[in-house]
Order: sequence, then structure tokens, then C-alpha cells
Amino acid sequence: MNEIFDRLIIRIILVVFVCLVIYIYKYAHMLFYPTVKQQVTKRFYPAENPADTLHLFSRMVGFTIILSSLGFDESHGIFLTIFHFLVWGILTSGLYLLSLFIIESIVLYNFEYKDEILKRQNMAYAIICLSHSISTAFVTKSVVNQSENSLVILFILWLLSMVVLGFGSKYYTFLTKLNFNSLLTQQKTSLALSYAGFSLGMSWLISASFDQEHYDITMYCVQIFLKMLLALIIYPLFKIGLDLIFKTYSYAESPGQAPSDPNQHNWGYGFYEAALFLSASILTSMIVNHIQFGTIYPFF
Amino acid sequence: MQKILLYLILIVAYLGLSKGLSPSEIGMDYVPNERGLAKVFTGENVSIILIDMHATGFLIKTYYQKYRIIHGFQGIEEVIVRTSRDFASKNRENVGLSIFRRGDSGEEILPMPPGANFIGNRGFGEWRPNKYGVAKWRFYRAYKNLPTYLGWGKWSPDQLFHEEYIAFKERNQPYFGSNKEFGTKGTVTQKNFPNFFKPERQKRIDVKTFLLKYFRENF
Repeated sequence: MNEIFDRLIIRIILVVFVCLVIYIYKYAHMLFYPTVKQQVTKRFYPAENPADTLHLFSRMVGFTIILSSLGFDESHGIFLTIFHFLVWGILTSGLYLLSLFIIESIVLYNFEYKDEILKRQNMAYAIICLSHSISTAFVTKSVVNQSENSLVILFILWLLSMVVLGFGSKYYTFLTKLNFNSLLTQQKTSLALSYAGFSLGMSWLISASFDQEHYDITMYCVQIFLKMLLALIIYPLFKIGLDLIFKTYSYAESPGQAPSDPNQHNWGYGFYEAALFLSASILTSMIVNHIQFGTIYPFF
Repeated sequence: MQKILLYLILIVAYLGLSKGLSPSEIGMDYVPNERGLAKVFTGENVSIILIDMHATGFLIKTYYQKYRIIHGFQGIEEVIVRTSRDFASKNRENVGLSIFRRGDSGEEILPMPPGANFIGNRGFGEWRPNKYGVAKWRFYRAYKNLPTYLGWGKWSPDQLFHEEYIAFKERNQPYFGSNKEFGTKGTVTQKNFPNFFKPERQKRIDVKTFLLKYFRENF
């Protein structure tokens, strides 16, 4: 009974500790996003600005996804465990925020947080940030898992993941019929949904590519690079295939009419593209990562 | 049009990089035909025995052959190479045969029983009568492992085998032994190179048997 009670206390202590790490993260957030200082330091009213709420708390969701990749090994004692968790918690939260900063600088370089969220309450912008938070969290989690407590490997893999994510996000313009900058300025949620589907799909694909055994870091990076190249070949095939199977038209005002609306204002189109991109990514990941050719067969 | 071009460039880049960076492509020699063997396997007194072959792939096959390299005065080594489809199909019946030899008389590419070139060479052994009075070839003690390396097992050649070997060689025809002991259908080869002749590698399974086995094992 004593042992069970002791373990329960340890679990409660660790819960408090994880909350402490999240508290530290809350302030670390200001380092990369100085404009959110008001959000962090003052009392926050979620109902006041839904876009702001979505923006801030999506990051918390992302951070918790990353924290879930860290584990506790009680065999070395509680203080060493807490210290290990603290070090890696700080490190991964720093990497996560830096990753988010880089990705948002690439994708949303034309838009300012202050203008879009605080002034205009742009929900499309907030949804795109939500998708970035979650997708970056999944990729960072994968990188942290694969680094096996090595700082050098963590840094190399993180750099690689950033390159892949950065180039991957540019791939969106080749796939969609929506005009990103123009529709985001018009606060069109269809665009946000479409991009969210693409972003989550891409993170699924990248995480799955990183999730493999590695003995030689160079060869591992080469494999990831080749897998991403292969994914670029397979992905459009699935997209075209799904398009053909469901016989979808871009936008029709009434049944039987040809596509006419180039702006795609409709939510339905956003959902459609989101589902298409996400499904194509998951299926591509299956083809790229889950086919075993045996031992003598050349690599992929 | 631009997208198609970009897509084609992606495919070419992927194929090129995969070939260049794949570990299975690095360090594995390619032997397109018999002449290719001479370039890959250098050195004097070499006899190359084909001991296994394997094809992988669905529509575009890649062919592999496994050789046992016997150096006259050294040990043996086993090497896997990639080959062409023609060379693989040409050697379908030649498992267990020596498909390349280099010795004092130069290079030979005619498929012959392994070690046939050593028989009659007084530097390696001599003819000794067995208990029935039939002269059989025996290697000297220094080469006592050669029959095992050559895949002879307990079989030993007689003078008829040696004479037929010389006759076939002069006619430039492949030789499989007096009683077809060597080659893919040869009894001696099948006994001494069991890996290639494993039942699971040879048998073709029909759809009904496959389905019955699958459902029995999985459900």
C-alpha cells in the first residue's frame, strides 16, 4: 500500500511539474512573439476575441503534443527525472517556438499578427496558425523521438525537418486553385480549411518519414530526403485519383453547370480540398513508408 | 505542360539519386555476360562456380547471381553480383557448374563441372584405384577441402568423366557429368548446394492452396 501511495504522490508531483514547464513556456512564447505580451501578462478573456483565443491556445495544444514525446524514467530517482524533463522540455519548447516562427515567416510573410488577429480578428489567419501549431508540433515530436537524447542528432534532424517543412509549405500553391494571399486578406475560411488540411497532411507525411530506425545519421538523412522526393511524385497521383473517383467540379452554381467561380468562397470547397489533401497525404505516406521490399531489393 | 515537365524532372531526379545513394547499388558489381566475369574477378588460378541465383521485382526484374570463387592455392570466397536478364536465363540450368576459369591455359567460359580443370593435373592429386579397382581422382592432403568447396561431397570423378570432359571441351559444349550429376538438375549439385534447392524456393503455389493456407494461418 505504501508503494502504491508513494507512486501516486510521484505522479501528482510530476503533474504539477509539467504545469510548471507549461508556465515557463507561456513566458518563453514572448521571446519569439513580443506582440503577444499583452495576451500573456494580462488577464485573458477567451470570448472577447475568438481569433486570438484560437491563436494562443493552439500553441498550447502544440506544446502539449511535444511534451507527450518526453517520458519519465523513475529508476534513476525523481530529481534526476525532473531535471531531465526540465532540460528537454525547455529545449523542445525552444525548438518548437523557433520552428513555428520560421514556418510562419515563410507562409505568412505578408501578414502581421497584430493586424490580422488583434485588429481584424481574422479567423482564417487564426485557423492557419492553428494548423501550423499542430503540424509543427507533430514534426518536432517526431524529431525529438528520433534524436534519442542526443543534442547533435536533434539539431541535425530539426534543421532537416525545417528545410522539408519550409519547401513543403511552398508546394501548396501548386496544388490548390485558391489564391492564398488574396483570400486570406478577405478572411475566407475556405482557404484556411484547405490550407489546414494540406498542412496537417504534410506533417503526417514528414513525421512518418522521420519515424524509422537509424544507425548512420547521414544515411538516415538521405533516406528521408529520398522519401520526400518520392512523396512529391506519389502525392499528385493520389490527388488526381481522388478527384477522378469523386468526379468533383471546382464550383458550380447549379447542377450540370461548368465551373465558374474562380474565387471559391464556399466553405464546402475548403472542406473538400482539406479532405483531399489530408487523404492524399495519408495514402502517400502508406505508399512511401509502409512497403517492405525485402532485404536484397534496392532501397525503395 | 509546365507541371508535367516539373513532374518528369522529379521522377528523373528521384531515380538518379536513388541509384546513386542506395547502399544496395554501392559495392555490388554488375556482370552483363561471361566476358564481364574476367573483368570483375582478377588473379591467377580462379574457378567461379554459380551456386545460387535470384530475381527480384514485379514488372522490371533485377537478377542476382551468387558465385563461389575458388582460388587454387587460397581459400574460397562467395560474392553476389547483379547480372543481365540474358545472362541469368542462359545460366538457368548451370547452377553448381563452373562458369568461368582462369589457369595456365588461359580463360575458359564454357560451363563445366566444378573442379574439372583440376582433374588430371598432377600438381593437385592423382588417380587411385578404389576397392572395386576403378581408378578415382583423389586430391593431395594439401587440397583435402577442395571437394567440399567444389560441391562434390562424397562424389569423386573417374577416368571416364575426365575423358568426356576433355571431349566436350574440344567440341565446345557444356558438360554436366557422365550421369548428369552437375547443373541445376544434377543430383550431386542438388545435394551439395541445398540453399538453392530449398522446397519453399522452388515450388509454385496455386491460388487455391495459397488462399487455404492464408485463411488457416490468419483466422
